[in-house]
Amino acid sequence: MSSFRIDIREMQNINVLDLKGYLDAHTAPDLEKVFQNLMEVKKFNIVVNCKDLNYISSAGLGVFMAYIEDVRKNNGDIKLSNMSPKVYNIFDLLGFPLLYDITSDEADAIKKFTASRK
Amino acid sequence: MTILSSSSPSKQSVSESAFDLDSLFEFSTVVNASLDIKFIFNHFLLTLMGKLLSLRGIVLLERKPNVFRVENVKGLSTDLLEKEFKFKTIPKRHIYLNREDHCKMPWLKYFKSWGIQLIIPLISQDHIVGLAGFLPNTSKKRLSEKKTTYIKSISNIAAVAIEKGLFIAELAQVNRQLDRKIQELNTLFELGKEFNAVLDPDRLVKLLIFSVMGQIGVNRYAICFVKDGKMNVVSAKLDRKINDDLCLYFPTISAPLLVDESTHKKDLRWQKQLHNIGIRALIPLQLQNQTKGLLALGEKLNGEAYSKKDLEFLSSLGNLALISLENARLFREAIEKQRLEDELLIAKEIQKGLLPAALPAIPNFEIAASNISSKQVGGDYYDVINLSPQHFVIAIGDVSGKGTPASLLMANLQATIRALVPLGLSLSELTKRVNNLINENTTSGRFITFFWGILHSDTKILKYVNAGHNPPFLIHLDGRIERLDKGGIILGIMKTIVPYIEGEVILEKGDVLVCFTDGVSEAMNAVNEELGEDRIREITESVMMEPAHIILSKIVDAVKEHSKDTSQSDDITLVVLKSVA
Repeated sequence: MSSFRIDIREMQNINVLDLKGYLDAHTAPDLEKVFQNLMEVKKFNIVVNCKDLNYISSAGLGVFMAYIEDVRKNNGDIKLSNMSPKVYNIFDLLGFPLLYDITSDEADAIKKFTASRK
Repeated sequence: MTILSSSSPSKQSVSESAFDLDSLFEFSTVVNASLDIKFIFNHFLLTLMGKLLSLRGIVLLERKPNVFRVENVKGLSTDLLEKEFKFKTIPKRHIYLNREDHCKMPWLKYFKSWGIQLIIPLISQDHIVGLAGFLPNTSKKRLSEKKTTYIKSISNIAAVAIEKGLFIAELAQVNRQLDRKIQELNTLFELGKEFNAVLDPDRLVKLLIFSVMGQIGVNRYAICFVKDGKMNVVSAKLDRKINDDLCLYFPTISAPLLVDESTHKKDLRWQKQLHNIGIRALIPLQLQNQTKGLLALGEKLNGEAYSKKDLEFLSSLGNLALISLENARLFREAIEKQRLEDELLIAKEIQKGLLPAALPAIPNFEIAASNISSKQVGGDYYDVINLSPQHFVIAIGDVSGKGTPASLLMANLQATIRALVPLGLSLSELTKRVNNLINENTTSGRFITFFWGILHSDTKILKYVNAGHNPPFLIHLDGRIERLDKGGIILGIMKTIVPYIEGEVILEKGDVLVCFTDGVSEAMNAVNEELGEDRIREITESVMMEPAHIILSKIVDAVKEHSKDTSQSDDITLVVLKSVA
């Protein structure tokens, strides 16, 4: 059974999700739940740190697709950071770099949020 | 070094040659180190423009046979970039425009219009991969041999490097396509596994949506499934609703289609409407070539059009989901069926428990009874109750319908009879009360055909009431035959208004009473012929001298023989009473 874990940190009104393990069809609903909760409490500045993400399948990517519009409508964004080359390759193959802000470092993503707030 | 030792070279020409060699070497090193053909074009143009003191430069590459595309320009309008031209009959040598015959090579007119004078083919492995054009700033009508050699060398080095670059670019492209294909297969594989493990259709649909959104990069969708020849939207995220007309059109779609590109008449009618809702692609979900569902998708967020590969992938994914949904449905049905079967089994057990386990011994009489229940739970009933040493109740009934409701009503009948009989009332009065109670306890449409009698074992008198049941045969030893048909209305239809009439018969020694349900008389054979009541009589007559249980088993055998090639559709219930003293 594939394992997947999401830890959430909040800093300066930005929610950072640390994804660990395998985000696939089996675990995608877990991520969806986290996004659902964030929408309910109106947290729209989200950074997804993919440092420990080993694999992402299209079902996992679909969760990002499902929420990006709501988030941006509320002047927020989902930014992705710290992807391994393997994971980035999947994002790239499916054309996600065009649609999402992907940074190499979490700090850069956070900076972008705080800069746009000023 | 060879140049230095050549015969009487001027000082200037020697150093120029050395410079040329250096430059050739450098050019070769630089372009061969690069796999980026754009960089190679740029470097090539700049190098030759420098050498020729050219104010203009252009390089074209043969992208398709005889089709050349502008890859880079210097000193010319950048509008030319990526424009394509058809060139034929290109010589493998450089061309000086003002001295060439334009009639043989009409394509030279383009170069003329760009103000290009010198055209150089880029040759690799003896074939032309591209063309470069320059406007040399020289007063001379022709290039020196040395310059020509230099230009040739540079061009050839560039041609080889370009070809290598193109090849590597193509390889990278193929690699990426392969990566993408692998990723698609991974998705299909993963979902195939996951779909099979998921039995909850809502979760399955959600997984399908997520995967489609992630793989294709869309976030507008609708998923529909066929129910009663019409599509029902089970999940959607669209700016406008899908109306009923579209739901009738959707089942007619048998192959993936791009809304804006279909030219079929039947599709054109809906094109505008679909476009306005934001739907760009329709993918039917099929099972054995029948459209059972539909995936409607909006625009890809990257603005690209749906490719044939996208549609193929979506078809595979959708059909996979459909099969899994179908499997989940069948699985649920199997569980439900199992549950019903278990329930029926319990009902059957209850019903069996209601029939007498053993028959009381009746002085001067033999009695035999049998109930063979069909696969389904029926509502046949019989009972023999010992009221007093001389009084015995014999009852047979058939509750309408089958299954659990029928067996419950039968239980109700049995309880009513057992409760009322000890009151010592007349049969007519008892039947009236039984009918009233059953009538109060049944829903409309349910009824019971019922026959019962009270036998006095000494006087051998049987008083009976027949409430719409198949009249039992009383076959006398002397050959007379009576049908016991006195009584009244079927139980359970309405309250008793007209009193039930009691009949009375005497069973002399050797007389046989045969009570049966319609499962006996209406037993069907393979060609849908009933056994018939007359057969019951004939069989009984033929074995009148045998004991009651033999008579009974002969009738049962006849029923079984008659309907041997069919499945038993109704309960078979028989009660045989024989006077033996």
